Amino acid sequence: MSTMKIFWCKNCLNMSTRPRIAFDKRGWCNACQWMEEKKTVDWELRKKELNTLLDKYRSKNGNFDCITTVSGGKDGSYVSYVLKHKYGMNPLAITVRPALALEIGDKNLLNFIYSGYNHIHLTPNPLVLDRLNKYGFIEKGFPYYGWLIAIMTAVIKTAGNFKIPLIFYGEDGEVEYGGSTESKNNALYDINYMKRVYLEGGHEKVLERIRQDKDITEADLAFFKFPDDHEISEIGLSFTHMSYFEPWDSYRNYIVAKENCGLTEKEEGNTDTFTNFAQNDQALYALHAYLMYLKFGFGRATQDAGIEIRRGSMTRDQALNLVKMYDNAYPHDLIETYLDYYQMTKEEFDSVLDKYVNRSLFEKIDGIWQPKFVPGEEFEI
Amino acid sequence: MTVVIVDYGMGNIRSIKSTLNYLGVQDVIVSFDPKVLKNGDKLILPGVGSFGKAIARIRERGLDVCLNELVVNGSKPILGICLGMQLMGISSNEDGINNGLGLVKGLVTKFDNTHLKIPHVGFNQVMINNKLKLYNGFEEEADFYFTHSYKMTSSYDISQCHCKYGDDFVASFENNNIAGVQYHPELSQNNGLHVFRNFLEKF
Amino acid sequence: MLRKRIIFTLIYSDGFFMQSRNFRLQKVGNLTWLERNYRFQKIAFSLDELIVLNASKNVKSMLQFAETVSELVNDVFIPIAAGGGIRSEEDAEMLFNHGADKIVLNSALFEKPELVESLIKIYGSQSIVASIDYKKSEGVNEVYINDGITKIDIPLEEYLKYVESLNVGEIYLNSIDKDGTGFGFDLEVISEMVTKIKMPLIIAGGAGNEMHLSEGLKINGVSAVATANLFNFIGNGLPKARKKIIDSGINVANWT
Repeated sequence: MSTMKIFWCKNCLNMSTRPRIAFDKRGWCNACQWMEEKKTVDWELRKKELNTLLDKYRSKNGNFDCITTVSGGKDGSYVSYVLKHKYGMNPLAITVRPALALEIGDKNLLNFIYSGYNHIHLTPNPLVLDRLNKYGFIEKGFPYYGWLIAIMTAVIKTAGNFKIPLIFYGEDGEVEYGGSTESKNNALYDINYMKRVYLEGGHEKVLERIRQDKDITEADLAFFKFPDDHEISEIGLSFTHMSYFEPWDSYRNYIVAKENCGLTEKEEGNTDTFTNFAQNDQALYALHAYLMYLKFGFGRATQDAGIEIRRGSMTRDQALNLVKMYDNAYPHDLIETYLDYYQMTKEEFDSVLDKYVNRSLFEKIDGIWQPKFVPGEEFEI
Repeated sequence: MTVVIVDYGMGNIRSIKSTLNYLGVQDVIVSFDPKVLKNGDKLILPGVGSFGKAIARIRERGLDVCLNELVVNGSKPILGICLGMQLMGISSNEDGINNGLGLVKGLVTKFDNTHLKIPHVGFNQVMINNKLKLYNGFEEEADFYFTHSYKMTSSYDISQCHCKYGDDFVASFENNNIAGVQYHPELSQNNGLHVFRNFLEKF
Repeated sequence: MLRKRIIFTLIYSDGFFMQSRNFRLQKVGNLTWLERNYRFQKIAFSLDELIVLNASKNVKSMLQFAETVSELVNDVFIPIAAGGGIRSEEDAEMLFNHGADKIVLNSALFEKPELVESLIKIYGSQSIVASIDYKKSEGVNEVYINDGITKIDIPLEEYLKYVESLNVGEIYLNSIDKDGTGFGFDLEVISEMVTKIKMPLIIAGGAGNEMHLSEGLKINGVSAVATANLFNFIGNGLPKARKKIIDSGINVANWT
C-alpha cells in the first residue's frame, strides 16, 4: 500500500489535507503565496476594473444596482458599507435566515440594517431547509448544506425578481484561505464554479434525496434551485468577489463594521477558537468546523491562525500553540441542540461523524475521536 | 530561623515575604513591635514610599531607638531594601532635609534629571565585589531590578558596590551585620534570590 | 547599562482575564486558566514586569480585584503594577497590601490630581505608573479616560506634559486604535512623543509578536514595551520571544 505524507504549510498551518490546496517548492500553501502576490498586484488597475464594472451597472433610475449578502457579520457589512458609501452604489442587502440563529448574530444584523441599509430577510421554508440541512449532514457531512444552497439559489432568484444583475460576495475563500486558485485572476465567475467548488458538486444529490420524500413538492424547493442557463442569460447575472478588487483584510473589515455598522462581538469566547468576532450567526457553524476537523485534521483555530499569520500579527510558532489548544473541540455544549435540531439520537448523530472522520488521522478514545498526530509534525499515512 | 520584616505601614512587603517563604524560611513575621524584632534572628527593613513619611512613621513607632539597640549595640543582622537602605543613611533631601537612621555613612540625593529619565527603573548591572558576604558566589557583574528617584552616595569605604546611571551610586553596602541594597532582590529573579540566600546564610 | 524591559499586561474583568481588541473585551479564562497557560510562577525568565488592570464594567470591586492580584503574585518574583478604578488612598493602599509593587492610575490623573499628589507623598513617584489611552481622529491624537470611553479636550502632547508635571514615575502610553490588533506599535506617534518627555516611557497597543516588540524596543528613549495579547503569547510564546530579542542583540536583561 502506498503511503501519503501529511504536512503543514511552512508559513501558516494549512494542512496538506485541505481540499484543492496547492503548495510551492518552499512548502508554502496557495493562500500564503497569494498573500505575497497581493503585495505586487496592481490594485490600482483592479480598482479601475471595479469602477468600470460599477459604472456599467450603476442605477440611473433609483433602482437597486447590486446585491450584497449579509449576515450582520463583518465581511458582508464591510462590502455593503464600501459599495454604498465609498462607491455610491445602491445595494440591496439580503440575508438568508439560517437555522438555529444565534442571538448575537440577530442583534448584529439589526444593528447593520439600522445603520442605514435596504434589506430583505429571506426565509426559505424552514421545514424544507431543516430537511436539506439534515440530508446534507448525512450525505455530505455538511451540517448546514441547505443554507449553503439557499445563499446562492434564493439570492439569485431575488436578483432575478428585482432585476438586479450584479451580486457581490465578500472574499473568495479558496484564494484567500487555501484551495482552488483558478479564479484568483477572474473578476467574475459563474454558476458552474459555484456548484462545483462551493457546493462540492453535491447539490443535485441532496435535492434528489429530498425529492424521495413524499411530503415535499417541487414548489417547496423553489428557493433551493438554480435557474437554468436561459433564465440567467436573460437577466445577465454577474457574480463577483470584493476580494478580487482590493487586498482583502478581514481584520480591517471587522474594524470598519464595528465603527460603522454596529458590529458587536461575543464577550464569551468560542470553545473552538481564539477569536470572538467571526461566524457568530448560527449554532451549526461550530459543527461545520468540527466536521472539517474530523475530515481533514484542522479546525477553526487553524483557519483563524492562518489569517493572523498572513496579516503579520502572529508568528507560526505562536499560532501552533493556539492550534494545539483549540482545534480539537468536540462541541459538548451544543450536542443536545444538534440532536434536537436533526431529530436524531446520539447514536445516529455519532454514526454520521464516524462516516466522515478520517481514520488515518483519528482514533476513537472514550467515544470521542482524538488525533493521532501532533499539529505541525509531518507524518505518513 | 525567624526573619522579621520591619513594618512601618507603607507599601508592599508581600513580595519580600513570599520570596523568603520560597527560600524555605518558615517564620517570616511582619511587625513593628520591639519585642518581636528583638526575638527575630534577622531583620529586613523594606521600603516603598517617600523618605520623609517613612522616617516619620519609624520614629512615631519608636523603631529608630529599637533598631539602634539591636543592630548597633547588638549584632543582629539587618538588610535594608531600596528606601529601607536609604533610611539607614545619614540624611536625604527627599521631602525637604530629613535625617536618617545613621547606620551607614551615606547621603541620599535626587538623581539629576537633565540627561536622565527619572525614576531609574528596570534591570541594571551592578559591579560586584564577590569577596563580600552578600555576593558570595557571584561573578563580576549581575543584573538587579531598581526603581527609585533618589540615590545614595558615599565618600567613605562602606564596602559598597556600584551601579551606574548617569554617575555611579551605591547599589549595596555591607558592614558586619548591617547591609543594604538599593535594588529589589525580591523582584530580581535568580540574582535576587541568591543575594537573599547569602543574607540568610552568611550574616 | 540600564536594560530595556518587556512587560506583560493582564486585563481583568469580574473574575476573568480578557483579550482586548480596540478596548472591546473577550473573556478568555480565569486564574486557573492563566496559571495553566502562562507560568508566571517561580522564576519568570521571560518577563521584566507584570501589569494587571481592572476593567470590570460593573461597579469596580477593588477588594475582589486585590484578592486576585494577591493570588497572582504568589511566588512571582517580578514587579507587579496594578490599577484600574483607583479613586482613593484606600483603593491604592488595598492594592499595595495585596502585593502590588506599583499602582497604575488613569482617570484619576485628570479627575483627581490631588489624589495623585498625596499618593506620591506616601508611596513615592517610582510607585506610580500613569496610564494614558489615546486614539487618532483626523490627524489629532485624542486622549481618553474611563476605559477609553470619555474623551478629554487636551491633545496628547500637552496631556503628556501635564502628567509629567504631576511627578509620576512612569508613563504607560497605549494606542486604542492598535490595541489587540497585532498590527504592531504606533511607531510614528511613539517616536514623536518619546522626545517630548523626560520620564520612563512604556509603550503598549499593537504588539502581536516578537518582531513588533523589537521594533518598539529599538526606539530611542523607549524604556519598556508592553503587550496584552493573551492569545498570541500563550504557552511558550513569551520565553521564545524574549530569547529571539536577546539573540538579536537588544539590551534587555538576560537571567540565566
